[in-house]
Amino acid sequence: MSDVAAKVKAIIVDKLGVDESEVTNEASFTNDLGADSLDTVELIMEFEKEFDLAIPDDQAEKISTVGEAIAHIEEAVK
Amino acid sequence: MSYNLLQGKRGIVFGALNPDSIAWKVAERAHEEGATLTLTNTAVAMRMGETQKLAEKLNTIAISADATNVEDLNNLFIQSMEALGGKIDFVLHSIGMSPNVRKERHYSDLDYNYLNKTLDVSAVSFHKVLQTARKLDAINEWGSVVALSYVAAQRTFYGYNDMADAKALLESIARSFGYIYGRERRVRINTISQSPTITTAGSGVAGFNRLLDFAERMSPLGNATAEECADYCITLFSDLTRKVTMQNLFNDGGFSNMGMSLRALQQYEKGLHEDCECGPAAEEHHFD
Repeated sequence: MSDVAAKVKAIIVDKLGVDESEVTNEASFTNDLGADSLDTVELIMEFEKEFDLAIPDDQAEKISTVGEAIAHIEEAVK
Repeated sequence: MSYNLLQGKRGIVFGALNPDSIAWKVAERAHEEGATLTLTNTAVAMRMGETQKLAEKLNTIAISADATNVEDLNNLFIQSMEALGGKIDFVLHSIGMSPNVRKERHYSDLDYNYLNKTLDVSAVSFHKVLQTARKLDAINEWGSVVALSYVAAQRTFYGYNDMADAKALLESIARSFGYIYGRERRVRINTISQSPTITTAGSGVAGFNRLLDFAERMSPLGNATAEECADYCITLFSDLTRKVTMQNLFNDGGFSNMGMSLRALQQYEKGLHEDCECGPAAEEHHFD
């Protein structure tokens, strides 16, 4: 697992209070990990803080799974 | 219709997330009544909601502040006084959030870290707002501070979960601080116990629509709407209610003083012998 992936998953475990084993790349924040509308915004802002980047709303809306978050951030920090 | 009840007054409104928010309507009504005000919300709420849009509409600023963070509150009051050109006359606290409700933790299986968060965000933040304002001497004499509550603070409503405890604490803070602030600076502090209202926060409560319907039918005047709550807030911010303080005031169409209506009694009798969610009619029900 990449550094980014590990950090992203740790943030998700912490913020959503889910078990690490549930946080697979395919897991959807809302459908599988129980995130509500506030959680999803909090997660995006937490990613921005951790990786020191800005994720505009139109891009944030496209991030619905753990894998998509990791891919977006890996691309952004390149 | 405007009565100029708040002409020349300066206010701070917490919690206007989107047009459904009670705080949104209060800000609009206060503006109509001649007040100038600043808006505030947490950074996450500002991003998620439309606070900035309302600020533009009301020709004012939205200040990002975490109401559980005293330093943020300090900056908020200082910035608001600067922007509005003087001390504050009214504050609306319309803030509530429960991670236990959001994560559907049953009241008999609460996560205590979540509970702390519920209490801090939904109730202790009110104390923090008041303490910060008092230390800065940021509120004018005869100023008025209102927080929004719900009847579950005083009686049990299944599904309201740990928010009931938070609202009980909120109402208590209004009394305790109301004494101090009233004695010292003639600032009045009240809570409004509002009918269930469809907002982003309210819709998180389990069985909310059924609760709304029940309250609507049980209240002789029907549920009070968000607009009606805003009207009530305006009267409490105005000079017409100067000796009202340390109260929990019901704006609920009469619901809180109802026992049983004829229709409810008749329907209850009909439904008693039918199966329901908590068990077949023949067996003992857990939550009758």
